[in-house]
Amino acid sequence: MSTSASPWRPRLPLPIRPGSADPRPTGATTAQASAAPGLPVEVAADVAVAPRTAARRRRGNRPRRSPVEWLLVHAAFALALLFFLSPFVWLLTAAFNARADYVLQWPSPWTLDNFRTVFTELDFSRYLRNSLIVSLSTMVLTTITVALAGYSLSRLDIRRKAWITYSILLLQTMPLSATMVPIYGLARELGLRNNYLGLILIHTAIELPFLVWMMKNFFDAVPRYLEEAAWIDGRSKFRAWFEILLPMARPGLAVAAGLSFLSAWSEVLMVLVLVDDPDLITVPFAFYRAARGSGSYQQVDYGIIAALGILYVIPVLIMFFATRRLMVRGLMNSTRGL
Amino acid sequence: MAITVPGQPTTPPGPAIAAPPRRRRSNWRRNRAYFFGLSPVAILLAVFFVGPAAWAVWSSFTNRALLGPGAANPEFIGIDNYTRLFNDPDFGTVLLNSLVFVVGSAMIGQFLLGLLMALLLDFAEGRGYRLVPLVYGAVLLAWVNPAVIAGFLWTAMLDSSAGILNQGLGLIGVDPVQWLGVQPMLAVIVVNVWRGTAFTMLIFIGALRTVPSQIYEAARVDGAGPFRRFWDHTLPTLRQTAVLVLLSVTISTFGTFLVIQTLTNGGPGNQTEIIALFAYRTAFETYQIGYGSTISVVMLAINIVFAIAYLRISRPRTPQLESDA
Repeated sequence: MSTSASPWRPRLPLPIRPGSADPRPTGATTAQASAAPGLPVEVAADVAVAPRTAARRRRGNRPRRSPVEWLLVHAAFALALLFFLSPFVWLLTAAFNARADYVLQWPSPWTLDNFRTVFTELDFSRYLRNSLIVSLSTMVLTTITVALAGYSLSRLDIRRKAWITYSILLLQTMPLSATMVPIYGLARELGLRNNYLGLILIHTAIELPFLVWMMKNFFDAVPRYLEEAAWIDGRSKFRAWFEILLPMARPGLAVAAGLSFLSAWSEVLMVLVLVDDPDLITVPFAFYRAARGSGSYQQVDYGIIAALGILYVIPVLIMFFATRRLMVRGLMNSTRGL
Repeated sequence: MAITVPGQPTTPPGPAIAAPPRRRRSNWRRNRAYFFGLSPVAILLAVFFVGPAAWAVWSSFTNRALLGPGAANPEFIGIDNYTRLFNDPDFGTVLLNSLVFVVGSAMIGQFLLGLLMALLLDFAEGRGYRLVPLVYGAVLLAWVNPAVIAGFLWTAMLDSSAGILNQGLGLIGVDPVQWLGVQPMLAVIVVNVWRGTAFTMLIFIGALRTVPSQIYEAARVDGAGPFRRFWDHTLPTLRQTAVLVLLSVTISTFGTFLVIQTLTNGGPGNQTEIIALFAYRTAFETYQIGYGSTISVVMLAINIVFAIAYLRISRPRTPQLESDA
């Protein structure tokens, strides 16, 4: 077997290197023992099945909790909730306050005026539709291309493959401030300004390097004999990928879908570069405009900003909680095999 | 190879590395489908990453501008932009600010807090605490905000007279502090940590679930206490994840400027002006595209140094060799 046949890489003994001056002999031996006895580790730790049963088992024989532990855990929870939630107090109060300011004020009376303004004067439903079209298309396009590329990169058998992999990763280091101007010129030449296609393509491109690389690791963990069996059955390479391997990579696909949706949903700089048609404004762009007073010196309306903020966050939260388990399961493999 | 899989021809064990040299002849036919599968990504990356980057590198040697004579006919001016940048007295300050921001926000803040939150939630979920989804949701909520909202939330939070933080501190008898004036760098670091912790946490939660339980069982049999088990077994398993997280968090923090732009706009003075904001303002507020590109290219170079350093640290000794050794 060649060294590049990484699908067979055992997952267990990753950081433990026997032979190095390692003061953890027990760790090394246990890891090797569990990896050694001819067990098909990759298959046993099947991406889709193992975590769920592990979680169930963990919940099953729940250890007794001491009061001290209970207190410590809840103290930590309280600190975390305080830190992460307290800034939102402003958002909640300002959104329901007709005379909101940038400081914290208790609304009197509580009112829905700001939301009404957002929908009547700001044409929020159009922004929402634009955002949904762009983000969902980006999500679909990204997931498909990334799944295809990750698999291809994983199975590609050429001499300098590591170089390709690392180059893709290095592309992620490109600062946006460097590429904004050339992308403006490029999009103008290609007719990608002020239309959905340009926004979708650019948002797809932004998240590609990390996700391609993540999906490669996913497919590295899928044993080759699965697809080889499918080829022998007479399936084409594409059909084998589509019918056999794609379902196995579902958690990875969920992560790719979730991250690309989120990135497209919140991206504003590229929209700034590519769009000046008011019909194509997305939600974060509307937000940016409201926050900067549309470029003029008009008063910034904090109540409207807060209302927009709330409307903006809701769909993302819904999506996250709908896919939470799948996401965590997908992320389990996302960082293997640098 | 120690691992065999049913249905797969196994390589002979031991140092029989003298496997026949792989045939390279039918390379193209074997890989044709894979090159095809990579092509959409390759095209997108070439168009939106490689091309613009090449353009930026070229522009950094010109006096290109959005307005004025540099806009119509940018001239090649050699390394003038670079000498100008390295002689710019502000550049040292900006670089130092970036360093403080990245170390404080990415390497210490997001990384450590993310790891701690992941350990806490993983532990608490395993022990059946009910509040786990709430805490999880709170961390995610901070993440999914766009930078502009985060800026506004924290302006209200940190305001000197009526800010939530000062009101809260007032309850325990602390005098109000004008956070954005006295500790601007600390403030933007905290805000960035607030936003960025979720990513680190999510990845670490994923990694923690893959720590094989056999290792724990074995360690428990060996009589290792919980802290010993954590130190000896959990942490080493997380090492590779940690390197990746550090790399991606460092680079994204280095390039982020929207939060700072909303919160302090680089001020007071240039105390929170980091290099990404500097590059953006040079290109889009003073319209010096050439000079702005120069700053971006320097940023890119720093990023690449970061990336190579991290990848060196994490370079895996291939497990095949391990099990053969």
